[in-house]
Amino acid sequence: MTGGPEIILSIKDVSKSFPGVKALDHVSMEVRKGVVHGIVGENGAGKSTLMKILSGVYEKDEGTIVFDGKTVERTTPVQALRSGLSIIYQEFSLVNSMTVGENIFLGRFREAGGMKGTHRKAKALLESIGSNLSTRQYVSELSTSEKQMVEITKALSFDSKLIIMDEPSSSLTEDEMKRLGAIIRELKGRGISVIYISHKLDEIFEYCDYVTVMRDGHVIDTRPAEGLSRAEMITMMVGRAIESEYPERPRCVGGPLLEVKGLNTRKLHDISFTLNRGEILGLVGLVGAGRTEIVRAIYGADRVRSKHIRINGCEVHIASPMDGKKHGIGFVPEDRKMQGLALPFSVERNISMATLSKIRKGLFLNPALEREMAQRQIGELSIKTPSPTTVVESLSGGNQQKCIIGRWLETQPKILILDEPTRGIDVGAKYEIYMLMKKAVEQGSAILLISSELPEVLNMSNRVLTVANGRITGEFDPERASAQEIMNMAIG
Amino acid sequence: MEGRLPIRRFVQNNLVLMTILLLVLVTVLAEPKFLTVGNLGNIMNQFGPLSFVSLGMTIAIIGGFIDLSVAGIVSLSAVFTLSMIDVLGQGGALVCGLCAGAVMGLINAYVIISCGALTQAKALFITYGLSAAYSAIALLYTDGATQHMSYLTRPVTLFKAIGSGKIGFIPVSFVLFLLVMGLLHLFLTRMQTGREICLTGANMTAASLAGIPVKRRVMQIFVLSGMLSALGAIVLFSRITTASPLLGADYETNAILAVVVGGTSLAGGRGSVVRTMLGVMLVTLLSNCMNLLGISTYLQAVCKGLVLILAIWLDRRRVK
Repeated sequence: MTGGPEIILSIKDVSKSFPGVKALDHVSMEVRKGVVHGIVGENGAGKSTLMKILSGVYEKDEGTIVFDGKTVERTTPVQALRSGLSIIYQEFSLVNSMTVGENIFLGRFREAGGMKGTHRKAKALLESIGSNLSTRQYVSELSTSEKQMVEITKALSFDSKLIIMDEPSSSLTEDEMKRLGAIIRELKGRGISVIYISHKLDEIFEYCDYVTVMRDGHVIDTRPAEGLSRAEMITMMVGRAIESEYPERPRCVGGPLLEVKGLNTRKLHDISFTLNRGEILGLVGLVGAGRTEIVRAIYGADRVRSKHIRINGCEVHIASPMDGKKHGIGFVPEDRKMQGLALPFSVERNISMATLSKIRKGLFLNPALEREMAQRQIGELSIKTPSPTTVVESLSGGNQQKCIIGRWLETQPKILILDEPTRGIDVGAKYEIYMLMKKAVEQGSAILLISSELPEVLNMSNRVLTVANGRITGEFDPERASAQEIMNMAIG
Repeated sequence: MEGRLPIRRFVQNNLVLMTILLLVLVTVLAEPKFLTVGNLGNIMNQFGPLSFVSLGMTIAIIGGFIDLSVAGIVSLSAVFTLSMIDVLGQGGALVCGLCAGAVMGLINAYVIISCGALTQAKALFITYGLSAAYSAIALLYTDGATQHMSYLTRPVTLFKAIGSGKIGFIPVSFVLFLLVMGLLHLFLTRMQTGREICLTGANMTAASLAGIPVKRRVMQIFVLSGMLSALGAIVLFSRITTASPLLGADYETNAILAVVVGGTSLAGGRGSVVRTMLGVMLVTLLSNCMNLLGISTYLQAVCKGLVLILAIWLDRRRVK
């Protein structure tokens, strides 16, 4: 990598250890001025640790970091910001109860020239990236992509020379992605460097000039994105060749299992569909179209105006998740930390959560039975955990997700609802989750799959329903219909 | 660093025990009277009422709530139980008092659930308001007058036994406490309902989506807390033989202090009643020692506040 534009950030031999883990092992990389530099790697590869060192959340153990010509020894998040290095996390760091303008200049109202100056400058900055958001709108009213826009504008307001985006696309729709792409190109044009961290390889190829692949705390290689093939990249990421990102589509569809008729809620209108035995049925739609609301209503998690549900031909009444569970429905929610896990609890307690009555003997819970249940799921799903008593919070995202799936497999569900089962999970773990889905349907369960990743739905489902504005707008055979057709109906 | 780790961990895990030992040591050196049988019995007696209320508070906090209504429940159930002795006899009054506590807990839970206030902060305000209501009812019920056990016509031997009876030199109330604590420990660690209460406290949404009947568990949390507060009230008025309608004042803060100092996390889900026992010991010992050392009550309140802040700070560090 010689020649080309000058270097804005240079990392040399940086290491960082946590008790029992070497998170970064002599990592070196360089980022050039005005380029988009992708970083890919499985969860636990060390990407986040490296970014947290750059932004001053962690302190490095050894090595040197040179940013903008100055050697950085220790830094704090505020110092990093002021020196021109911004980081935009997956979970936004905006204050919901304040306005857009106030958020952009948070804590710097005086520097910005009072509230008047704040709003004026914020407006100018927003316009410079082609956004016409009102600076007086409250952040709580914004969509995910608009919030992201505000975050980027905030980074610009610090005169950032390097902006790190950590999984910026995880909850964006196709359209919003295009807008993000335009903004990234705009930043690039101004000579601002962007470090783009993502699990979605398509995006890496679309936006990035250079790609650094990390694995197990090492930098495997840094290469120009041009000329790098997808297969090569995946091989570098996982350290072995993966022939395919998806297993072969399971084909074991039988007769009707779940029939939903006339489901109405405040947001949903007359939802009716059938899920067959051994089928994977995909729900496709934009974020907020009502996909999650449909499955929550079926499972009894939300209030409904009307619904008729038949399972195996019998009319059933599901008023609460407890009823849902009783009728053989398993529910893996979209937000595993907020809705799925008891984070401070051990792996085994998270697995046994839905089937405590199975490990009860007489009055008391039996620890041996609980351990046995946990071991069984840890083995079958190959959950990587030091022991069943490890706190679930310390596992990687993929393994946490497997704990939730394991919890439901213990109930031997007839119907498994998976809402964004692979969000924020690395390629290797994704494949394992697809295999689990395949195994479940082959054993006679049926799966209702929601995912924002269209390729995932198209490759795994036997049938796809599109959802827009709280209605089902179409039904497709993913092997015949094109992605274009399906997206058209999903946009509504 | 590596070699020191086990010792550090032991000290960190048993900080309360260490502090208790340190406190005893310092006090014994400064004031030898501390170790007399009289004073030890005195400590165990003081231990009584707060310990029961704190057990209830532990369950509330593990379940993800803070029950501020215990002050009102203690006051109202004390005057109510005492006044029932002449009507129902002592056995009936005892049962009636415990039921009153349970009913007040049920009212708490009902209001919380029907207001959709299933977060720690919202429930805090609701129980605070209800506490004021219970205290006011206690004042209305007694016309503001203190009730005396000695004015009663029917026998009060049962209450005398609870309040000041001794087995050897150990107060009956202390034995009762150990019994209740043991049962609750078993309940929380080994029974399904107890586990579900812990899960509800750790993440109510996740618990509910895993098919746990969360609202029923919330009911049970507050009923238990109310009943244990009533039991604390009974132990208290039995010992001092009077029940003022303001009897429960400050019990909520002291109970929270004991629970948090014991090491139960305010974040919910994690904690144990055994730890709370240590917390109560520390709080009681602290005031006993400060009394013996002649520290003024005002300064004592300052010290208690500092201990609470320290405990919350440590709890945060543990969470990280």
